[in-house]
Order: sequence, then C-alpha cells, then structure tokens
Amino acid sequence: MTNRVFMLPLWIRLWHWSNALAIIVLSITGISLHFSDPNLPLVEFSLAARIHNVAGVCLAVLWVVFVIGNIVTGNWWQYVPKPPGIIGRCISQMKYYGGGIFKGEPEPFPPTPEVNFNALQAITYWSIMYLVLPMVIATGLVFLYPQFAPDTLFGLDGLLPIALLHYLGAAVILLFMVSHIYLGTMGPKVSSLFKMMITGWYEH
Amino acid sequence: MFGKLKKKLWSAAVLLAFLAAPAAFAEDSPPTPEELVKIRAANDACLTCHSEAGLKKPPKEGLDLKKLRNHLVDLGTYTTSDHGQMACSKCHGDGYDDHPHAPKAREDLAECQDCHARKAMRIERQFDKSVHAENLSDKFTCATCHDPHVMTLAANLRDPHKIVAQDNKICLDCHDSDIAFAKMAPEKKKRPAIDDIHSWLPNTRLHWKAVRCIECHSPTEDKLSLSHEIQNKEKAEKKCATCHSANSSLNARLYRHLAKEEQHKYGFLNSVILSNSYVVGATRNPTLDMILIGLFAATVVGVIGHGIVRALMNSLRRRKNHD
Repeated sequence: MTNRVFMLPLWIRLWHWSNALAIIVLSITGISLHFSDPNLPLVEFSLAARIHNVAGVCLAVLWVVFVIGNIVTGNWWQYVPKPPGIIGRCISQMKYYGGGIFKGEPEPFPPTPEVNFNALQAITYWSIMYLVLPMVIATGLVFLYPQFAPDTLFGLDGLLPIALLHYLGAAVILLFMVSHIYLGTMGPKVSSLFKMMITGWYEH
Repeated sequence: MFGKLKKKLWSAAVLLAFLAAPAAFAEDSPPTPEELVKIRAANDACLTCHSEAGLKKPPKEGLDLKKLRNHLVDLGTYTTSDHGQMACSKCHGDGYDDHPHAPKAREDLAECQDCHARKAMRIERQFDKSVHAENLSDKFTCATCHDPHVMTLAANLRDPHKIVAQDNKICLDCHDSDIAFAKMAPEKKKRPAIDDIHSWLPNTRLHWKAVRCIECHSPTEDKLSLSHEIQNKEKAEKKCATCHSANSSLNARLYRHLAKEEQHKYGFLNSVILSNSYVVGATRNPTLDMILIGLFAATVVGVIGHGIVRALMNSLRRRKNHD
C-alpha cells in the first residue's frame, strides 16, 4: 500500500513548469545564437534572437514571482541550507548517490512536507535560484539594453564581461538542468518525483 | 536610348583618359609644406564667401545668399578629408577664378573620373547594377553620395566607429529625410519609413551605430572588395549569420582594413571586431566553448552511465530476490 503526502502547492508547480519551459526555450535559442553558423542553423538567427528576448523577459518575471511567492508563503525557508551537521548530511547524501542507491539502500533524507529538500538539494537550489539565475537574468537584461554596459574594458568591447557572465551562468544552469532531470528519477519509483511535480502528492 | 549612348561615350572618354594618363592625378605625391601654404592661402580666398562665416558676414554686397547657402564648405571637415590638401581650383576650373564666377563655370567642373579613372571604371560596372542606377541613373553621380569636400576613405579612417558614422550618414541623409528623398526620388515614390522597413532586424538602431548600411545592402558574395552595387530590400542580405558567425563577413567588410591586425586577443575569434563590438556568434572563445561543451558531455555521459549501472544493479537484485 502506498502512502500519499501532499507536498507542493499549485503555485510552485505552475512556477516550476513555466520556469522549466522558459529555460529549455532559452537554452535552445541561446545555443543557436552563440554557435551561430550559416551552414548549421538550429533556429534561424533573428527568430532565435526574438524568441530568446521574449523568453528571457518571461524568465525574469517568473523569477520575481518565485521570490515574492517564497516570501509570502514562507517557502523560502526550505531553500536555506541549515548549518548544524550540514556537511555530514551532504556527505551521506553523496555516499547514497555514489554507492547506496546501487545497493538498493533507502534514501537517507526522504522529502517530508516540513523538509522538502536534502542538504545537497537545498545548497544547489539556493545557489542556482539566488546566485546564478539572477546573474544570468541581470546580464541578459543588459544585453537587451546594451547602453547600460561599459563602452570598453581592457581594450575590448564593454559588453564582453556581461556576455561572458551570461554565457558561463547559462552553462551552469544547463548542467544543473541535466543533473536535475536525472535526479528526478531517484524517488521511490523512477516516476514518483515527476508525478509529485505535477500532482503535488508524494507517493512512497 | 540617348542615356545609353551618353553612357557609352562616357565610358570611351574614361578609357581614353585612362590610356592617356596612366599616372592618375589621384596618385600624385602630396604637396610640399611650401606648396601647402600657398594652397591654403588660395583656398582661404574661396572660403571668405563659401563658409558659415562668409554667409554671416558676406565680404561683398549683392551676393545671392540663398544660393551661397547651398555651396558652403566646412574648413575643418575639408582639411581632414581625403581631398583636404588640394586647392579648390584643382576641380573648380578657370571659370571660378573671379567673382561673379563665369556663367558656364559649372560645365568646367572636374569630374571624379578625371583623376580616379581606374577606380571609376571598376565602380561604374558595379553601380550600373545598383538600385540607384536602376531608378535614378540620370540624376545620380558619384557626388550624390560622396561629397568630395567631406569624404575620407575607410582605409584612411580605419576606426570602424568613424567609418560607420560617415558612411551611414550618407544613406540616412536621403533615406531618413522626406525632403532630401523627394529631391532625388521618382515623382510618385514615397519614402518608406526607415525604422518600419527594418523592423525585422533586432536592435535596429544599435546595428546602425555598429555597422554600415552597405554591410547588408551590397553583394556579400564578393569577399575581396566592397561593391557599389547598392541593393534594395529584395536583394539585400538578410541572413544574420553572414556576420554573426565565426567566419564573419565583417572581416572582409567593415574590418577589412584592420583584419590584418587580428591577434586572437585573449584567445577570442575575431578579436579585432571585439575591440569595438561584441558580435554574438562571431566574437567567441573556442577554448572556453570546448571546456563547456566537454563539461556538458561529461554530465550527460555521467548521468546516463549512473542510470545504466542503477538499472543493472536493480535487475540483478531483483533476480537475486526472486531466486
């Protein structure tokens, strides 16, 4: 018999999937723009630029929704890595991913309505949502309004550091996305966590 | 018909001039300092009338100021232009020596091809295919775009910002002004709003500050030189990746005079462009790209590998439990 526990309110689920869609669109168009090649167009350049701009603004709005929603509902506390014993919890989580899971051991810190995330998740999610993503959004906005970028820097165009931060941040988010989707298969069943992300109910 | 004959006669005249005077005037050595002092003094005499100051305080009574207003020369701009060391009289012949100028003085005005014979022959072939020749062949001359008192060759300007400012001003002076456009355009032709017809181009105005109109409005197939075959919107380049790619055509166009200085500064491709503009798709760092592609591939391979081991161990365990 499976136990069900309600974990994720509707607003978080809606935000999560809109955010996911925006990031996937931005990744495809972003890769297409950065590696632009007349012989291998992934998405035609001016179309990619337009889609990237619109999706980027959507992502910025969604981030604001995320921050406000977290403040209003108190959900922000879930993302705070809580210090006593955090290193130990991180290590046991890594041991689980690197060994325990192959042996069929139970997850050391399964999600509960009180504590949604294990220590590694909390640290990663917090860094992505409050460091990397805002940096990518901010640099993206400078790309939209390049008059705010410095004219020149070290003899090169002032947009270069903005572009580099945008590129590096986006790459980190892309790497996160790949691991995040894979770690989504690590629930009690391969599909459990994806189901939870849709229905809000955690089945275990 | 007559137009064609006139054109043929011109070509013949240009060819003759070319054969008769292989050492074109344009390649003359620059004047000595003493000659330059004389030239400047002679030019100053012209500028007593043909300058803003002359217009404000005409040195002579009874001048047609309305007419004069259309024939002013800015000394600063002229001096720094490619013709800036030449005497006015080099082009403005005998009829201009005295005032009032001779009634037919204009007919003796030197033509560009008098000095630039070789160039004129090459350019005329390109120009004949241009949208300007197609619609305005009777009115259009070199000077319609290239004011000889102002022009500096891109090769001499070198700084892309200056080249862009000079060259785009030429196009926009007509194509962004109803009055100037109406002076040249066929009678019923209405000037299309320049922002509207370029609305497909992202960051339109930013492009116009960074690159020239002719970057797209002249054939991009020819990588060796920039053509005078100015093309309309049907023929103009619309593929962004022509410039926005590692093998950017900007190297053969706006940056062709600087391209030799390309040093892959800090490991960036097209770093000579990067000195002025960050061009998405063109100014990138292959080493950084490879590192990030490698990291991405490693992550994908890592999670797939982890997943396969997980699935194998799972099925082994299940089989064991079953036994």
